[in-house]
Amino acid sequence: MTTTPDATTAPAGESSLIPTLPGAAYVDPAVFDRECERIFEDMWFCAAHESDLPGPGAFRTVQVGRESILLTRSRRGELRAFYNVCRHRGARICLEDSGEKARSFQCPYHAWTYDFDGRLIAAPNLTKMPDIDRVDYGLRAVHVRSWMGYVWVSLAAVPPSFEDTVEAEVVARLGTVDNIATYDIASLSIGRRITYEVKANWKLIVENFMECYHCATIHPELTEVLPEFADGLAAQYFVDHGAEFGEDIKGFTIDGSEGLGVLPGLDEYRDRKYYAITIKPQVFVNLVPDHVIWHRMYPLSEQLTIVECDWLYTPDVVTSGRDVSASVELFHRVNQQDFEACERTQPSMSSRLYRDGGVLVPSEHHIGEFHAWVTARTDSQKADSQEGG
Amino acid sequence: MQFVCALDDVPVGEGVRITSVTPPIAVFRTEDDDVYAIDDTCTHQDASLADGWLEGCWVECPLHASRFDLRTGLVDQPPAKRPVRVHVATVRDGGIWVELSGEVPHLPPGVTLEAG
Repeated sequence: MTTTPDATTAPAGESSLIPTLPGAAYVDPAVFDRECERIFEDMWFCAAHESDLPGPGAFRTVQVGRESILLTRSRRGELRAFYNVCRHRGARICLEDSGEKARSFQCPYHAWTYDFDGRLIAAPNLTKMPDIDRVDYGLRAVHVRSWMGYVWVSLAAVPPSFEDTVEAEVVARLGTVDNIATYDIASLSIGRRITYEVKANWKLIVENFMECYHCATIHPELTEVLPEFADGLAAQYFVDHGAEFGEDIKGFTIDGSEGLGVLPGLDEYRDRKYYAITIKPQVFVNLVPDHVIWHRMYPLSEQLTIVECDWLYTPDVVTSGRDVSASVELFHRVNQQDFEACERTQPSMSSRLYRDGGVLVPSEHHIGEFHAWVTARTDSQKADSQEGG
Repeated sequence: MQFVCALDDVPVGEGVRITSVTPPIAVFRTEDDDVYAIDDTCTHQDASLADGWLEGCWVECPLHASRFDLRTGLVDQPPAKRPVRVHVATVRDGGIWVELSGEVPHLPPGVTLEAG
């Protein structure tokens, strides 16, 4: 891949600048509500890593749009996902972020008790109410599946095609799904997880991840490792373009020191290269020769987003206790720099100056496609037709 | 002695609620394939012990985790305090037969013999 000459220049006769979304898109609770309904609750959502649920009864609760979702495994070890809502009077079943139940999920209010398949197995006086169907009044399930070692859920009645949504994002970036398969991400283990609380709208975080116009300014360490980032073009600007490590760089580490080898089976030409994928609406994947950095966002409100980031290595690296801190530190610092920038931007979204939004330079113009995508999904006409149907 | 169900109706490691007698009883078949019968209703609150968790010769109430000894009917910890009755159970010709206890059952508040 080569840099196209016009990537930082607008096509002849066209403006260098195109508008962003208006400020209200980042601060209006009604807009966030609509995004939850049309995006987070209507698509596939990456909710947890498979290893967060080591066995039957192990659970995790996550916020998906406006809903609390309870993830667990059945007695047979199969993934299960339910609304974290008691079918009786609506109390939240599990308040903890994670844990393990030995026998059942029991509502702490009236002791309605559900097995790990969600079936209602006991409740006070249940034997006197034989007309209560134990499946109909079991925990309400949502769609769940595993991909790349991660647990994905969909709250849609009919989930979108995984191939046409999640996998299509990989194809758009890397050309084919096979090009991510070479990293064998499902076989990797979590070497480090860091959770960030970011006081910014989720779209600011996506936009930040999509462009590299800021890289040379706020990411000195990353730009040292990937010198071409100084040109302001994101690795995501091209199809299957890997950003090359600098000449003196030995590994994807904070100081360019040696990494942890190369992932087994990785295509040779991907060594010494960095690739990045945005899987809308809430996953960012960074691929480097010896590890994978997997971010997922949990938007909690129009101005608060939790970002959970995993650094994935071969199980061998993790179990042997090898020091991964130099590689963790590089992207941890990038995350801190990015999220600080997002938090610096968020308060201005309600400035009168930003009422009509800001502008995107040519190397950011692809962010306009993200804005068009959000706008199309949250478009009010679609709302009316859906409600009518 | 009265016939309550076929042995095959009770999977190993589980219990079945029998409503043909009043108050209902629970028949359990342990992992060692021993068969026991006790009153089905927890003495603390109306819950079916047949829906509880069987471990060895103990069944744990599904609601509040008091455990009852299938051999004696005694309870190990609150919130239930009173024992359940134990009935003599035998397996004959592939059927489970029970000699009901003559004692007065310890039913929880709100559960009466008439209610079944």
